[in-house]
Amino acid sequence: MRDGIAIARLGIPAVALVTEKFWPQGDFVANSLGMPDAPRVRLPHPVAGTGEANLERVADAIAPAIIEAFIH
Amino acid sequence: MLSAATEAAALERLHELKCTDGLPVVVPTEARVARMALASGLDRDLALGDMGPGKGIATVEKVAVAAVMAGCLPDYMPLVIASVKAVLDPRFDLTEMQATTHCTAPLILVNGPARHGNGPIACGFGAMGPGHRANASIGRALRLAMINIGGGRPGESDMALLGHPGKFTYCLGEDEEASPLPPLHVDLGFAPEDSTVTVIGAEAPHSVLFSGDGDDPESADRLLECLAIGLANIVTNNAVLTGGAAMVLLNPEHAAVLADAGLKRRRIAERLHGLCAHSPDDLARYAAAFAPRREQSAASARSCFASPDDILIAVAGGTGLYSMVMPTWCGGPHRNRAITVAVETDQFCEVPSADPEG
Repeated sequence: MRDGIAIARLGIPAVALVTEKFWPQGDFVANSLGMPDAPRVRLPHPVAGTGEANLERVADAIAPAIIEAFIH
Repeated sequence: MLSAATEAAALERLHELKCTDGLPVVVPTEARVARMALASGLDRDLALGDMGPGKGIATVEKVAVAAVMAGCLPDYMPLVIASVKAVLDPRFDLTEMQATTHCTAPLILVNGPARHGNGPIACGFGAMGPGHRANASIGRALRLAMINIGGGRPGESDMALLGHPGKFTYCLGEDEEASPLPPLHVDLGFAPEDSTVTVIGAEAPHSVLFSGDGDDPESADRLLECLAIGLANIVTNNAVLTGGAAMVLLNPEHAAVLADAGLKRRRIAERLHGLCAHSPDDLARYAAAFAPRREQSAASARSCFASPDDILIAVAGGTGLYSMVMPTWCGGPHRNRAITVAVETDQFCEVPSADPEG
């Protein structure tokens, strides 16, 4: 979340990917950094360490949401 | 400003608002906070810095609120202020440290005459508690500041999977009087009459059992190896990520074993730096997932630490068989550096010890 906001502040469009379990922390960071509506897309949890096949499934599933977030 | 009919009601309200560490606190009334801020000798509106991840402004007054809630005496304020300054140093990486999933807490080590004049800070038996008011409440004041100014709350902004008990309080003094080594702050370039706090984001203490043998000419070598086994545990962040710092707390007997072998602090750190290493095979087996985050050295063993300077060594605790080592998180842009700050005892303003509200 913090990285997404830092990139956005550089003028580069950014969408943060935040897993389910870290969603409240994402909200906290976005609020504390003064960008509560910073675009973010929810991922299942966990993602790390779940294997390449699962990463591809997650990527396929969320790609439309990421594109949607960039458009709006 | 909150209002409540009774102290008990105020305490319940503070719990409801998640302003406590889960234990009862002293209710920070205006009079108590004013008295605590006065003891600092500083302007109560003085801003010490922004505290992450919530970016609250750590004024002297807000720090005084934390000190009151923690149960500090006004005498402790210079140490609380210095501890807050230490974690606000950008090299400490507090914002990231408060948010990490790792179990890390600021360990405060006090050196110099403030251990006596602004405490007493326990340095000997059971120095890390329980039972020592100054140690307990100074460490707790820093934690309450990190909760209420920095906004670090479990599962919401503090994402530590389990945390550790030192996140309630984690403070002790170096037993300079029982140590065969110069005080840590003197080896760091301060004068003996200076007082300092050294704050390091540390895991819970890991015990190291060792019995010296006066007939064994290699006793010091074996002690160093034992300390290194504790410190270089291959499932610590230091071993896997490398690049952070660590604390070694030698009990006075263990310190004497090393000093009697002619080892100064710097040499002890150099020896530990060399011993705290893992082979490429072991790192590949146990830490492969983190390989891209390390500078790989395929041919030789890799130290857990970038430099001997990253291994802090202090003497504390009772005499006996146990020393302690504290590995660290070592994440963040500055790798969560240990920070030493001078305690401004010349600013301290002595105030009457009686609580104005009984």
